[in-house]
Amino acid sequence: MTQEHEDPKFEQWLKDAARAYHTPHPTPREEMWARIEASRRNKHVIELRPWMRWAVAAAAVLILGIGIGRWTANPPARTNGAVVASTPDSPNDLSYEIAATQYLSRTEAFLTSFRSDSRGGASGARFAAQARDLLTTTQLMLDSPAGNNPRLRSLLEDLELVLVQISQLGARGEGSETDLIRQGMNQSNVLPKLRSAIPAGPVAARTEGAL
Amino acid sequence: MDESQLIARVRAGDSAAERALYNAHVDRVYRLAFRLAGDDALAQDFTQETFIRAFDRLGSFRGDAAFSTWLHTITTTVVLNGLRKVKRFRQREADIDDAQMVGVARREAEPDLKLRLTKAINELPEGYRTVFVMHDVEGFTHEEIGAALGVETGTSKAQLSRARAKLRVALSDFAGEWVT
Repeated sequence: MTQEHEDPKFEQWLKDAARAYHTPHPTPREEMWARIEASRRNKHVIELRPWMRWAVAAAAVLILGIGIGRWTANPPARTNGAVVASTPDSPNDLSYEIAATQYLSRTEAFLTSFRSDSRGGASGARFAAQARDLLTTTQLMLDSPAGNNPRLRSLLEDLELVLVQISQLGARGEGSETDLIRQGMNQSNVLPKLRSAIPAGPVAARTEGAL
Repeated sequence: MDESQLIARVRAGDSAAERALYNAHVDRVYRLAFRLAGDDALAQDFTQETFIRAFDRLGSFRGDAAFSTWLHTITTTVVLNGLRKVKRFRQREADIDDAQMVGVARREAEPDLKLRLTKAINELPEGYRTVFVMHDVEGFTHEEIGAALGVETGTSKAQLSRARAKLRVALSDFAGEWVT
Protein backbone atom coordinates (compact mmCIF):
# COMPACT_ATOMS: atom_id res chain seq x y z
CA MET A 1 0.00 0.00 0.00
CA THR A 2 2.75 2.40 0.87
CA GLN A 3 4.81 1.46 -2.14
CA GLU A 4 2.58 3.35 -4.54
CA HIS A 5 3.81 6.65 -3.18
CA GLU A 6 7.49 5.96 -3.61
CA ASP A 7 9.21 8.39 -5.92
CA PRO A 8 12.95 8.80 -5.48
CA LYS A 9 12.99 12.22 -7.14
CA PHE A 10 10.28 13.55 -4.87
CA GLU A 11 11.87 12.01 -1.79
CA GLN A 12 15.23 13.59 -2.53
CA TRP A 13 13.63 16.95 -3.27
CA LEU A 14 11.64 16.73 -0.04
CA LYS A 15 14.69 15.82 2.03
CA ASP A 16 16.63 18.75 0.61
CA ALA A 17 13.78 21.15 1.18
CA ALA A 18 13.02 19.85 4.68
CA ARG A 19 16.51 20.66 5.93
CA ALA A 20 15.19 24.18 6.42
CA TYR A 21 12.39 22.94 8.71
CA HIS A 22 12.89 24.34 12.22
CA THR A 23 16.59 24.89 11.64
CA PRO A 24 18.23 24.50 15.06
CA HIS A 25 20.30 27.23 16.66
CA PRO A 26 23.83 26.41 17.84
CA THR A 27 23.53 24.24 20.95
CA PRO A 28 23.62 26.41 24.09
CA ARG A 29 25.66 23.82 25.97
CA GLU A 30 26.85 25.88 28.91
CA GLU A 31 23.51 27.51 29.71
CA MET A 32 21.69 24.20 29.63
CA TRP A 33 24.34 22.43 31.66
CA ALA A 34 24.20 25.11 34.35
CA ARG A 35 20.45 24.65 34.63
CA ILE A 36 20.71 20.86 34.64
CA GLU A 37 23.22 20.97 37.48
CA ALA A 38 21.13 23.43 39.47
CA SER A 39 18.00 21.40 38.97
CA ARG A 40 19.66 18.16 40.01
CA ARG A 41 20.96 19.81 43.17
CA ASN A 42 17.41 20.82 44.07
CA LYS A 43 15.55 17.82 42.77
CA HIS A 44 15.56 15.49 45.68
CA VAL A 45 14.77 18.03 48.31
CA ILE A 46 11.63 19.58 46.88
CA GLU A 47 9.78 16.45 45.92
CA LEU A 48 6.43 16.52 47.67
CA ARG A 49 6.40 14.19 50.62
CA PRO A 50 3.02 12.70 51.60
CA TRP A 51 2.26 15.24 54.35
CA MET A 52 3.28 18.05 52.04
CA ARG A 53 0.96 16.80 49.36
CA TRP A 54 -1.86 17.11 51.88
CA ALA A 55 -0.92 20.64 52.78
CA VAL A 56 -0.26 21.82 49.25
CA ALA A 57 -3.35 20.15 47.96
CA ALA A 58 -5.54 21.54 50.69
CA ALA A 59 -4.70 25.03 49.50
CA ALA A 60 -5.11 24.12 45.87
CA VAL A 61 -8.48 22.56 46.57
CA LEU A 62 -9.80 25.90 47.79
CA ILE A 63 -9.37 27.26 44.29
CA LEU A 64 -9.66 24.25 42.06
CA GLY A 65 -12.57 22.64 43.81
CA ILE A 66 -13.80 20.97 40.66
CA GLY A 67 -14.52 17.36 41.20
CA ILE A 68 -13.30 17.33 44.76
CA GLY A 69 -16.80 17.72 46.10
CA ARG A 70 -17.62 14.33 44.71
CA TRP A 71 -15.16 12.83 47.12
CA THR A 72 -15.67 15.11 50.12
CA ALA A 73 -19.44 14.67 49.88
CA ASN A 74 -18.93 10.99 50.39
CA PRO A 75 -19.52 10.42 54.15
CA PRO A 76 -16.79 7.81 54.68
CA ALA A 77 -14.26 10.12 53.14
CA ARG A 78 -15.05 13.22 55.22
CA THR A 79 -12.44 14.26 57.74
CA ASN A 80 -13.82 17.63 58.88
CA GLY A 81 -10.47 19.18 58.23
CA ALA A 82 -8.50 16.82 60.39
CA VAL A 83 -5.45 15.30 58.84
CA VAL A 84 -5.85 11.58 59.13
CA ALA A 85 -3.80 8.73 57.92
CA SER A 86 -5.04 7.31 54.68
CA THR A 87 -3.97 4.62 52.38
CA PRO A 88 -2.14 5.90 49.31
CA ASP A 89 -5.06 5.13 47.07
CA SER A 90 -7.88 6.31 49.27
CA PRO A 91 -10.31 8.66 47.56
CA ASN A 92 -9.24 11.64 49.70
CA ASP A 93 -5.57 11.12 49.13
CA LEU A 94 -6.08 10.70 45.43
CA SER A 95 -8.27 13.78 45.24
CA TYR A 96 -5.69 15.92 46.97
CA GLU A 97 -2.89 14.55 44.85
CA ILE A 98 -4.89 15.29 41.75
CA ALA A 99 -5.55 18.83 42.88
CA ALA A 100 -1.91 19.52 43.73
CA THR A 101 -0.68 17.95 40.54
CA GLN A 102 -3.21 19.92 38.53
CA TYR A 103 -2.07 23.17 40.09
CA LEU A 104 1.63 22.49 39.54
CA SER A 105 1.10 21.17 36.02
CA ARG A 106 -1.09 24.10 35.10
CA THR A 107 1.52 26.54 36.36
CA GLU A 108 4.24 24.70 34.48
CA ALA A 109 2.22 24.72 31.26
CA PHE A 110 1.44 28.40 31.71
CA LEU A 111 5.05 29.42 32.28
CA THR A 112 6.28 27.19 29.45
CA SER A 113 3.76 28.75 27.12
CA PHE A 114 4.58 32.25 28.35
CA ARG A 115 8.27 31.71 27.68
CA SER A 116 7.73 30.65 24.11
CA ASP A 117 4.63 32.65 23.14
CA SER A 118 5.31 36.03 24.71
CA ARG A 119 8.08 36.69 22.19
CA GLY A 120 5.59 36.38 19.38
CA GLY A 121 3.63 39.42 20.56
CA ALA A 122 0.82 37.40 22.12
CA SER A 123 -1.55 39.43 24.23
CA GLY A 124 -0.06 40.67 27.49
CA ALA A 125 -3.55 41.05 28.92
CA ARG A 126 -4.28 37.39 28.37
CA PHE A 127 -1.11 36.33 30.17
CA ALA A 128 -1.78 38.82 32.95
CA ALA A 129 -5.26 37.44 33.60
CA GLN A 130 -4.00 33.86 33.75
CA ALA A 131 -1.12 34.87 36.00
CA ARG A 132 -3.48 36.57 38.46
CA ASP A 133 -5.55 33.41 38.68
CA LEU A 134 -2.51 31.25 39.42
CA LEU A 135 -1.09 33.86 41.77
CA THR A 136 -4.07 33.54 44.09
CA THR A 137 -3.53 29.80 44.42
CA THR A 138 0.20 30.25 44.90
CA GLN A 139 -0.35 32.72 47.71
CA LEU A 140 -2.80 30.38 49.40
CA MET A 141 -0.18 27.68 49.25
CA LEU A 142 2.42 29.97 50.75
CA ASP A 143 0.10 30.61 53.69
CA SER A 144 -0.64 26.92 54.14
CA PRO A 145 1.54 24.47 56.11
CA ALA A 146 3.21 23.62 52.82
CA GLY A 147 4.86 27.02 53.02
CA ASN A 148 6.77 25.89 56.11
CA ASN A 149 9.00 23.66 54.03
CA PRO A 150 11.96 25.85 53.08
CA ARG A 151 12.55 24.27 49.69
CA LEU A 152 8.94 24.30 48.62
CA ARG A 153 8.56 27.79 50.00
CA SER A 154 11.50 28.90 47.89
CA LEU A 155 9.84 27.45 44.80
CA LEU A 156 6.49 29.04 45.63
CA GLU A 157 8.16 32.39 46.24
CA ASP A 158 9.94 32.19 42.90
CA LEU A 159 6.62 31.38 41.27
CA GLU A 160 4.92 34.21 43.09
CA LEU A 161 7.53 36.69 41.89
CA VAL A 162 7.23 35.59 38.28
CA LEU A 163 3.44 35.54 38.39
CA VAL A 164 3.29 39.00 39.95
CA GLN A 165 5.47 40.34 37.15
CA ILE A 166 3.36 38.70 34.47
CA SER A 167 0.12 39.81 36.11
CA GLN A 168 1.28 43.41 35.77
CA LEU A 169 1.97 43.18 32.05
CA GLY A 170 0.25 45.79 29.93
CA ALA A 171 -2.23 44.87 27.26
CA ARG A 172 0.45 44.72 24.61
CA GLY A 173 3.02 42.90 26.73
CA GLU A 174 5.97 45.12 25.81
CA GLY A 175 8.97 43.20 24.56
CA SER A 176 11.36 44.65 27.12
CA GLU A 177 9.05 43.68 30.00
CA THR A 178 8.58 40.13 28.82
CA ASP A 179 12.30 39.81 28.10
CA LEU A 180 13.07 40.79 31.67
CA ILE A 181 10.57 38.29 33.03
CA ARG A 182 11.99 35.49 30.88
CA GLN A 183 15.49 36.44 31.96
CA GLY A 184 14.41 36.26 35.60
CA MET A 185 12.81 32.88 35.03
CA ASN A 186 16.06 31.56 33.61
CA GLN A 187 18.15 32.98 36.40
CA SER A 188 15.94 31.59 39.14
CA ASN A 189 15.73 28.25 37.34
CA VAL A 190 12.06 28.24 38.20
CA LEU A 191 10.80 25.91 35.47
CA PRO A 192 13.20 23.02 36.16
CA LYS A 193 12.48 23.39 39.89
CA LEU A 194 8.77 23.33 39.20
CA ARG A 195 9.06 20.25 37.01
CA SER A 196 11.01 18.40 39.64
CA ALA A 197 8.27 19.12 42.17
CA ILE A 198 5.53 17.65 40.01
CA PRO A 199 4.84 14.08 41.05
CA ALA A 200 5.82 11.73 38.26
CA GLY A 201 4.64 8.31 37.23
CA PRO A 202 1.39 6.73 38.27
CA VAL A 203 0.00 9.71 40.16
CA ALA A 204 0.50 12.04 37.24
CA ALA A 205 -0.93 9.47 34.89
CA ARG A 206 -4.03 9.08 37.03
CA THR A 207 -4.73 12.78 36.89
CA GLU A 208 -5.17 12.69 33.13
CA GLY A 209 -8.77 13.53 32.49
CA ALA A 210 -9.72 12.94 36.10
CA LEU A 211 -11.22 16.36 36.64
CA MET B 1 37.68 5.77 27.59
CA ASP B 2 34.74 4.06 25.92
CA GLU B 3 31.13 4.92 26.64
CA SER B 4 30.42 1.98 28.94
CA GLN B 5 33.30 3.07 31.16
CA LEU B 6 32.01 6.61 31.12
CA ILE B 7 28.56 5.41 32.16
CA ALA B 8 30.06 3.35 34.97
CA ARG B 9 31.83 6.44 36.24
CA VAL B 10 28.64 8.48 36.09
CA ARG B 11 26.90 5.78 38.13
CA ALA B 12 29.73 6.03 40.66
CA GLY B 13 28.98 9.73 41.04
CA ASP B 14 31.76 11.21 38.91
CA SER B 15 30.53 14.66 37.88
CA ALA B 16 33.25 15.08 35.24
CA ALA B 17 31.99 11.90 33.60
CA GLU B 18 28.43 13.29 33.67
CA ARG B 19 29.63 16.35 31.82
CA ALA B 20 31.54 14.24 29.31
CA LEU B 21 28.48 12.11 28.64
CA TYR B 22 26.38 15.24 28.25
CA ASN B 23 28.91 16.75 25.83
CA ALA B 24 28.91 13.61 23.73
CA HIS B 25 25.15 13.58 23.20
CA VAL B 26 23.72 17.03 23.80
CA ASP B 27 23.97 18.26 20.22
CA ARG B 28 21.84 15.50 18.78
CA VAL B 29 19.31 15.68 21.60
CA TYR B 30 18.98 19.45 21.28
CA ARG B 31 18.74 19.28 17.48
CA LEU B 32 15.96 16.71 17.66
CA ALA B 33 14.13 18.68 20.34
CA PHE B 34 14.43 21.86 18.29
CA ARG B 35 13.28 20.21 15.08
CA LEU B 36 10.20 18.84 16.80
CA ALA B 37 9.41 21.89 18.94
CA GLY B 38 10.41 24.64 16.53
CA ASP B 39 11.23 26.90 19.45
CA ASP B 40 14.53 27.50 21.21
CA ALA B 41 13.14 27.93 24.72
CA LEU B 42 11.09 24.75 24.45
CA ALA B 43 14.01 22.86 22.91
CA GLN B 44 16.25 23.92 25.78
CA ASP B 45 13.62 22.91 28.32
CA PHE B 46 13.17 19.50 26.71
CA THR B 47 16.91 18.92 26.41
CA GLN B 48 17.46 19.76 30.05
CA GLU B 49 14.58 17.53 31.12
CA THR B 50 15.97 14.69 29.00
CA PHE B 51 19.38 14.79 30.67
CA ILE B 52 17.95 15.24 34.15
CA ARG B 53 15.81 12.13 33.65
CA ALA B 54 18.66 10.22 32.03
CA PHE B 55 21.07 10.88 34.89
CA ASP B 56 18.40 10.05 37.46
CA ARG B 57 17.51 6.79 35.76
CA LEU B 58 20.92 5.70 34.59
CA GLY B 59 20.71 2.83 37.08
CA SER B 60 17.97 1.31 34.96
CA PHE B 61 20.05 1.44 31.77
CA ARG B 62 21.13 -2.14 31.24
CA GLY B 63 23.21 -1.66 28.14
CA ASP B 64 21.11 -3.98 25.97
CA ALA B 65 20.89 -1.20 23.40
CA ALA B 66 23.21 1.70 22.67
CA PHE B 67 23.14 4.52 25.20
CA SER B 68 22.15 6.92 22.42
CA THR B 69 19.08 4.80 21.63
CA TRP B 70 18.05 4.83 25.29
CA LEU B 71 18.64 8.59 25.47
CA HIS B 72 16.62 9.25 22.32
CA THR B 73 13.75 7.25 23.78
CA ILE B 74 13.74 9.64 26.72
CA THR B 75 14.08 12.61 24.36
CA THR B 76 11.09 11.72 22.23
CA THR B 77 8.98 10.95 25.30
CA VAL B 78 9.86 14.27 26.92
CA VAL B 79 9.36 16.28 23.73
CA LEU B 80 6.09 14.69 22.64
CA ASN B 81 4.58 14.83 26.13
CA GLY B 82 5.76 18.42 26.52
CA LEU B 83 4.34 19.48 23.18
CA ARG B 84 1.01 17.82 23.96
CA LYS B 85 0.87 19.70 27.24
CA VAL B 86 1.62 23.05 25.59
CA LYS B 87 -0.83 22.32 22.79
CA ARG B 88 -3.60 21.47 25.26
CA PHE B 89 -2.89 24.64 27.20
CA ARG B 90 -2.96 26.79 24.06
CA GLN B 91 -6.10 25.08 22.81
CA ARG B 92 -7.88 25.64 26.10
CA GLU B 93 -7.00 29.32 26.06
CA ALA B 94 -8.01 29.63 22.42
CA ASP B 95 -11.35 28.03 23.23
CA ILE B 96 -11.93 30.51 26.03
CA ASP B 97 -11.18 33.47 23.85
CA ASP B 98 -11.92 32.57 20.28
CA ALA B 99 -11.04 36.04 19.13
CA GLN B 100 -7.42 35.30 19.91
CA MET B 101 -5.46 34.24 16.85
CA VAL B 102 -3.25 31.40 18.09
CA GLY B 103 -1.33 29.70 15.30
CA VAL B 104 -4.10 30.36 12.83
CA ALA B 105 -3.24 29.01 9.43
CA ARG B 106 -3.43 31.48 6.62
CA ARG B 107 -5.54 30.04 3.89
CA GLU B 108 -4.49 32.26 1.05
CA ALA B 109 -1.94 31.02 -1.42
CA GLU B 110 1.51 31.03 0.12
CA PRO B 111 4.11 31.22 -2.60
CA ASP B 112 7.11 30.57 -0.41
CA LEU B 113 8.19 26.94 -0.35
CA LYS B 114 9.77 27.12 3.08
CA LEU B 115 6.60 28.45 4.70
CA ARG B 116 4.38 26.03 2.84
CA LEU B 117 6.58 23.10 3.76
CA THR B 118 6.73 24.13 7.40
CA LYS B 119 2.95 24.43 7.52
CA ALA B 120 2.49 21.08 5.78
CA ILE B 121 4.86 19.30 8.15
CA ASN B 122 3.28 20.94 11.19
CA GLU B 123 -0.13 19.70 10.06
CA LEU B 124 0.94 16.06 9.79
CA PRO B 125 -0.44 13.72 12.45
CA GLU B 126 1.95 13.57 15.39
CA GLY B 127 3.27 10.08 14.62
CA TYR B 128 3.89 10.86 10.96
CA ARG B 129 5.58 14.14 11.76
CA THR B 130 7.85 12.58 14.39
CA VAL B 131 9.01 9.83 12.07
CA PHE B 132 9.42 12.22 9.14
CA VAL B 133 11.50 14.68 11.16
CA MET B 134 13.64 11.95 12.67
CA HIS B 135 14.27 10.15 9.38
CA ASP B 136 14.23 12.69 6.57
CA VAL B 137 15.37 15.74 8.48
CA GLU B 138 17.66 14.42 11.22
CA GLY B 139 18.86 11.24 9.54
CA PHE B 140 17.84 8.61 12.10
CA THR B 141 17.51 5.08 10.77
CA HIS B 142 14.21 3.22 10.99
CA GLU B 143 15.80 0.92 13.57
CA GLU B 144 16.73 3.91 15.73
CA ILE B 145 13.30 5.45 15.31
CA GLY B 146 11.54 2.19 16.12
CA ALA B 147 13.61 1.79 19.27
CA ALA B 148 13.09 5.40 20.36
CA LEU B 149 9.35 5.40 19.77
CA GLY B 150 8.72 1.83 20.87
CA VAL B 151 7.30 0.74 17.52
CA GLU B 152 8.24 -1.86 14.96
CA THR B 153 10.63 -0.86 12.20
CA GLY B 154 7.88 -1.58 9.68
CA THR B 155 5.57 0.85 11.45
CA SER B 156 8.21 3.54 11.20
CA LYS B 157 8.61 2.87 7.48
CA ALA B 158 4.86 2.91 6.90
CA GLN B 159 4.44 6.17 8.80
CA LEU B 160 7.24 7.78 6.82
CA SER B 161 5.67 6.68 3.58
CA ARG B 162 2.30 8.09 4.61
CA ALA B 163 3.90 11.32 5.76
CA ARG B 164 5.63 11.74 2.41
CA ALA B 165 2.39 11.00 0.57
CA LYS B 166 0.55 13.68 2.54
CA LEU B 167 3.35 16.16 1.94
CA ARG B 168 3.33 15.37 -1.75
CA VAL B 169 -0.33 16.32 -1.92
CA ALA B 170 0.13 19.41 0.24
CA LEU B 171 3.05 20.59 -1.90
CA SER B 172 1.60 19.67 -5.28
CA ASP B 173 1.94 23.30 -6.41
CA PHE B 174 5.68 22.70 -6.47
CA ALA B 175 5.49 19.49 -8.49
CA GLY B 176 7.48 21.09 -11.27
CA GLU B 177 10.48 21.16 -9.01
CA TRP B 178 10.72 17.40 -8.64
CA VAL B 179 9.11 16.23 -11.88
CA THR B 180 11.83 17.03 -14.37
